[in-house]
Amino acid sequence: MTGTEVVRRSEQTDRRAPDKPSRRSITQRQRPLWMLAPGGVLVLVVIVIPLLLALWISLLDLDQYSIREWIHAPFLGVKNYVEAVTDSDLLHSVWLSVFYAVLVTVVTTPIGIVAALATQQAFRGRGLIRSVFLIPYVLPAFVVGTIWRIILQPDGVANRTLGHVGIHPGLWLNGPKSFWTLVLIQIWASWPLIYLLALSGLQAVDPQVHEAAALDGADWWSKLWHIIGPYLRGPVALAMVIAFLHNVNNFTLPFVLFGVPAPDDVEVLPVLTYVESFQNFRFGLSAAMAVCSLVLVAIPIIVYLRAVRLDTADDPDTRRREA
Amino acid sequence: MRVTRTLAGLGTALLLAGIAACGGSSNGGGDATNGAGKTINVLIGVNNIYPDQQRKWFTDVSDAFKKDTGATVHFDTFASANDELTKIQTSVLSGQGPDIYALGTTFTPTAYATKAFVELTADDWNAIGGRDRFVPATLGISGPDKSHEVGIPFASRPFVMAYNKDMLAAAGIDKPADSWDGLLEQAKKLTGGGKYGLAIGYADSFDPWKFIWAMSVQAGNPLVKDKKAALSDPSTVKAYQTYLGWLATDKVVDPASVGWKNAQAVAAFGQGKAAFLPMVSASSKVTLDKSSVAGKYDYVTMPTIPPGMTSLGPGGVAATSILSGDNLVVAKYTKNKALVLRLIKYLTSAEQQDSYYKTFGELPTNAEEAKKLQSDPALSAIVESASKSVGTPFNGAWSQIQLALVDVVVQSIPSISKGQLNEAALNGLVQKAQSTAQSALDKAK
Repeated sequence: MTGTEVVRRSEQTDRRAPDKPSRRSITQRQRPLWMLAPGGVLVLVVIVIPLLLALWISLLDLDQYSIREWIHAPFLGVKNYVEAVTDSDLLHSVWLSVFYAVLVTVVTTPIGIVAALATQQAFRGRGLIRSVFLIPYVLPAFVVGTIWRIILQPDGVANRTLGHVGIHPGLWLNGPKSFWTLVLIQIWASWPLIYLLALSGLQAVDPQVHEAAALDGADWWSKLWHIIGPYLRGPVALAMVIAFLHNVNNFTLPFVLFGVPAPDDVEVLPVLTYVESFQNFRFGLSAAMAVCSLVLVAIPIIVYLRAVRLDTADDPDTRRREA
Repeated sequence: MRVTRTLAGLGTALLLAGIAACGGSSNGGGDATNGAGKTINVLIGVNNIYPDQQRKWFTDVSDAFKKDTGATVHFDTFASANDELTKIQTSVLSGQGPDIYALGTTFTPTAYATKAFVELTADDWNAIGGRDRFVPATLGISGPDKSHEVGIPFASRPFVMAYNKDMLAAAGIDKPADSWDGLLEQAKKLTGGGKYGLAIGYADSFDPWKFIWAMSVQAGNPLVKDKKAALSDPSTVKAYQTYLGWLATDKVVDPASVGWKNAQAVAAFGQGKAAFLPMVSASSKVTLDKSSVAGKYDYVTMPTIPPGMTSLGPGGVAATSILSGDNLVVAKYTKNKALVLRLIKYLTSAEQQDSYYKTFGELPTNAEEAKKLQSDPALSAIVESASKSVGTPFNGAWSQIQLALVDVVVQSIPSISKGQLNEAALNGLVQKAQSTAQSALDKAK
């Protein structure tokens, strides 16, 4: 039996077990949905209403002159959106944010998976190494930014050390290199997320599957690709979506590293939105930019939900069709 | 998701505004002498140089005011300009928060534009002891004109220049130059052997615009006049060329200063690595007196003759500093206006201003108290700068203009760090700043 067959049989067994539509239907009919009401109210007050208000603000000429009586701020329709697209750095920032987020996600994914594989088998000191791996991730972004800002000063540790070996890299925190500084530091800080989720995927692999593969004489690559791979696909895809969202929305790191006004090469979308709101007081324009960001981050979420069908996974009809 | 949270946060604040509006709070007056059970909330910048003394001052003020009126004073602090802005915006939006804000002078125009703060009437000024009790120059940024003032001068922090007396003496220079060109020549003489003529914080978020503004004003360009921006005026371009040229072409500044904030420039001067340290306030004294240059430095007013000139430009003003310090503003939503004004009267009294100066080293705005300090030779430069400070344009768009001015420097840093000062690139950046500034002014109301 090949590794692929092992997985297929395992999947077939898994599918048979929960496929009891009649019982689920009864349970569904009797679900006490009213118990969701407190949570629903909370979501309504904390997320839905403010979100609708923010959408409304994006249609207003809300600034320092009208903020006190915001309800009377002049209605602009889509003019803020038009200004954001045609007369601001929005498109440049969108490009920077997406490019940066994709780069970081693509680079951190293999690093995270390799780190998870390397610490999957028990060995002396594994606990310590696993803990060390998490350090960049548990450090607050503010601390990460401050430490790296000190290291990367023109006369900082990095340049001095490189200077000893004849390399004079110049500026890290301004100019074209600043973009790569942001990418590298974010990679340093965020790969453990992929590592964590990949590790959870690895731990879900049934030991019997490993045994069966060993009995069949599957080699190292076959086991990784045909047996472990399918288990990792879900968690790693989820990790990549979360990582992309974190990266595209990352405000603290570029803000602390580069300050405001930001150098053009690192004026990412969250920083631009912040500056328009809290430095230039263009709350309406900034809200329009934030709505554009929301659309941007919604794309990978929708793609992901479609891909893994998380949005329909609990639907008994879908389950029946899949079975 | 951060975006969702940002949107939600903005919306929540607005929601609070709506709830507050439903409450229909009134700006009550009340009896100033009977404040029993009442609390006056004050928002003020945190003092990182004297944190313990600041806490004690909070307690002392609260105790004294309680004894006087029965009311408690509760102080809250903001850590940075951004923190200050966020707290002000939230309070303005929600219509609740501190009764009194201690604002940086240059933020007063923006605060005025929100119409969220009390415009002081003659009765209000009388309640705090009269307009005459203040040094006239400190009232220069209280409002657009005398009849529309919101800011009550509380502390004065004029900018001056520190210089290393030993380094100047060794180079045979008897005193710092009074022109920017003269200063550059002196700085060139003082540069060498790992030491530099000037210590400048090019990466500071605020310092750069103060230099550009001062040089422009001295040349006769106030940057904003009659709602027209003049950032691309030749005098301002010359100011940028001078300021950026110190590092790029004149080489009188440590190349590492492209990454420095003001504090790092102060530290470099404190290590004896620079001869001049322009754009510092008296608060730098605390750091410098603990440094290797303690006893070897002095303060002087910054040059007032603009770059490329031998005297003030046509219509120029010999501004030694922006009108810098703190103004107190009163929120319109306060329910204890009479008590608030009484507290401000107390805080701006000669006795309190004396105590505040002695504790924190910030100059008094109280005329009677300021007069006493004029005779102190150690303070002569700082007191002189206070009297020759000029207010920045009183316009609600000023914060945006400041940001546009600094942005030119931020985007120029890659080229100046390579020793290049590309005129075309600089003009392009200046034009962009001009356009940003004009568009902000066009929206000003």
